[in-house]
Amino acid sequence: MQPVIDAAVYIVDDDASVREALAWLLRSRRLGSQVFESAEAFLEMIEGAHLPPRPACLLLDVRMPGMSGLALFDRLAERGLQQALPVIFLTGHADVPTAVGAVKRGAFDFCEKPFSDNALVDRVEQALAQSATIVQAQQVRARLRQRLGELTDRERAVMQLVIEGLPNKRIADQLDISVRTVEVHRARVFDKMEVKSAVELANLLREF
Amino acid sequence: MNTLTRPSLSKRWRASWRRRALWSALAALVVALLFTLVWLAGRYEASQVQSRLERDAADAVGDIRSRLTRNLQSLQALQFGDPKPVAWTGEATALLRERRELLRIEWRDSQFGILAQAGTPYRPPVFERLGRDSVQSEVTQVCNAARRISGPAYSTSYFVPMTDGLGIEVMEMCLPLASAGVVMGYLVATYSLQDLLDDLARQLTRSQEVAFTEGDGTRLAMRGTARRTSRVFSAQHLLDLPGTTLVLRMDSWRGAPDLFPNVLTALVTAMSIALVSILLLLGKDMRRRLKAESDLADALAFRKAMEDSLVTGLRARDLQGRITYVNPAFCQMVGFTAEELLGQGMQAPPYWPPELADEYKKRQEIRLAGNVPPREGYESVFMHKDGTRFPVLIIEAPLINAHGLQTGWMSAFLDIREQRRVEELSRASQDRLQATARLAMVGEMASLLSHELNQPLAAMSSYATGTLNLLHQGAQTPADIELAMRRIAEQAERAGKVIKSVHDFVRRRDQAREVVAPQALFDAILPLVNLQARKLGVQVQLRLEPGLPQVLCDRTMVEQVLLNLARNGMQAMDRPEIRRRVLQLGVQRAAADARWIEFSVTDVGPGIAPEVAQQLFTPFFTTKAEGMGLGLSLCRTVIEQHGGTLAFKPNQPQGTVFTFTLPTGLPQPPLL
Repeated sequence: MQPVIDAAVYIVDDDASVREALAWLLRSRRLGSQVFESAEAFLEMIEGAHLPPRPACLLLDVRMPGMSGLALFDRLAERGLQQALPVIFLTGHADVPTAVGAVKRGAFDFCEKPFSDNALVDRVEQALAQSATIVQAQQVRARLRQRLGELTDRERAVMQLVIEGLPNKRIADQLDISVRTVEVHRARVFDKMEVKSAVELANLLREF
Repeated sequence: MNTLTRPSLSKRWRASWRRRALWSALAALVVALLFTLVWLAGRYEASQVQSRLERDAADAVGDIRSRLTRNLQSLQALQFGDPKPVAWTGEATALLRERRELLRIEWRDSQFGILAQAGTPYRPPVFERLGRDSVQSEVTQVCNAARRISGPAYSTSYFVPMTDGLGIEVMEMCLPLASAGVVMGYLVATYSLQDLLDDLARQLTRSQEVAFTEGDGTRLAMRGTARRTSRVFSAQHLLDLPGTTLVLRMDSWRGAPDLFPNVLTALVTAMSIALVSILLLLGKDMRRRLKAESDLADALAFRKAMEDSLVTGLRARDLQGRITYVNPAFCQMVGFTAEELLGQGMQAPPYWPPELADEYKKRQEIRLAGNVPPREGYESVFMHKDGTRFPVLIIEAPLINAHGLQTGWMSAFLDIREQRRVEELSRASQDRLQATARLAMVGEMASLLSHELNQPLAAMSSYATGTLNLLHQGAQTPADIELAMRRIAEQAERAGKVIKSVHDFVRRRDQAREVVAPQALFDAILPLVNLQARKLGVQVQLRLEPGLPQVLCDRTMVEQVLLNLARNGMQAMDRPEIRRRVLQLGVQRAAADARWIEFSVTDVGPGIAPEVAQQLFTPFFTTKAEGMGLGLSLCRTVIEQHGGTLAFKPNQPQGTVFTFTLPTGLPQPPLL
């Protein structure tokens, strides 16, 4: 089989044959997966290791002995993970109303057993795409936060006034420093924020 | 309310007034009667006294007359043998001593000259003060009269004053002395009227007074008690003597007149008292009767109100089958008026449906022959006047009169149309409920089954799709595909097993029946039961009837039922207020049929509330927080598959008994 796309699909189901079959199906579409036999096992994993910032998705059986799928979903929601880790419920016929309720509370989708498998995989890919977007945005934001952290207080003050569109002379007047000094700070800000113009800087910070 | 009571009040007042008037009239009558009786009795007594007095007076007159006659004879005897005046005087004096009433005797010649005379020795000389000559005319007159009648004659009486200031009334008697038709002289005797009466006085009673009176009632002489009272009886009798007539008057008086003068009046009074007492008693009795009457009227009104308010129809028949009474409810039930029904003679009542009349007639004959119908009644069909038929429940009882004789039959009728309708409704809803319960069971089964099948199907589908994906990609990885195919085969087999297990479940049950001793069933569950019993502090008692036959059953299933019931019982007793927790497991022969064995599980818990009892066997109904609500429902299904029944009833004094029956191992027709 082909190497796997860099994404994580977690499968939580108490029935071994179902987990394995799903993992096999996903691998046939070049999706790697990690299987868990219970909700508790999955919780242990995400609590033990910090999740790598990569697109992920959770296929979750609703009815399981011990902690149910729904309870696990609620625990994830508490941690604000349901966006970065979209959840697709796997349900039997009788659990459909429960699953619908879960979707209303923020689950990505639900899939009724026996599922039309490629449609499921399609939904998994869509979920991964959503996850990827979110993870990417999170990464951008994290990098921006990191760059802003590198600025000195004076540079941050200068940057603020630059974004407001003031010319160097006015900035110098306001901060009571020389125009020359302003220019040096301005160049350092552009350098650190990895932008080339004030407009680019403003766009970057608007997203923040 | 007021308008209703007012006429009845005035009516009652009028009635009481009339009654009072009647009573007072009766009392007045009785009093008048009493007075009349007493008065008549008095009158009778008075007349008795009067007649006795008359008789006495007549006797007295007779006595006086005979005395006078005797005196006359004695006087005539003085002249016997031509006595000499001296001898005569001696004789006369002797006579005077003997006869006190004679005051003086004179012998006179034909010229009225006195030849000889003698005076009474008892008195002073009578004519001493007056002189004998002053009465010469009276003497002459009476002697002339005597000569004319040639016999003794008496003069009218006259008063002679005496020297002591008093006086006496005297009367002269002249007897002519004739010899050969020539009057030779006269004997003149002077009588004292007073002394004449004295002679009578001995015969008089103390309450009598006797007197000589003149025609105008003036008393000339009297003798007797001078006592006077209001009640005086008086009798007068004439004493006619030649020449004069005296009136003898006799007075008699009673003492103070008594209220009850004598036996008769006493008798009358006693009778009157008796009469009055009888009247009083009668009055009292009447009052009691009136009260009883009014009580009876009240009771009748009460009974009528009761009968009218009943929705139960009532009908009474005499022993000939004629209707003697119907209440309004009955009339309303059959649509006929009471008059229409009571007017019926011996023919069939109009509310008998014509097509059933013959049957009813037979039934009525049986009834009239004296057969007591069942106490709980029997059902029948009646016809309303408009022709509609309706079912009734009839309860009959013999009608016994005050003397203990049966006079007919009293029947109560209940229109059971509504009851029938409710019964049918309830039966229908029961059926619906059972159908729903079965559906729920089937639904649950289907849900379980679909889950069991879904798992392998889902796996198979995934492997198949994955394999297709690989094939589409053109990848040459037979090992992967082989793996997938093997897995598909495995999962298919798994699904097949699910199907087979369902099949087996249905089939295996019948084959699993075996013959088991009841004891063995308990032995199998007791370890498990005891485990829980120790935990909950329950004492488990086992009661086995000796010599029980073996039962034919699916051992595992029945053990499950027993275990389930035992657990339910113990959980029911798991309450702090129940101190003595006893679980009784029993087995015995069924009372109704010896081919069945009855198992019982008895707890002393709080019992089963009626609303819970109604849906106790409903699938998914539970009173336990973590219960599924399938236990009892499955138990019943198991027992019913064995042909037995599972039931429960309250245990005395508390708790619940669950019982179920199982067939014995004896040969019997196969159960389907």
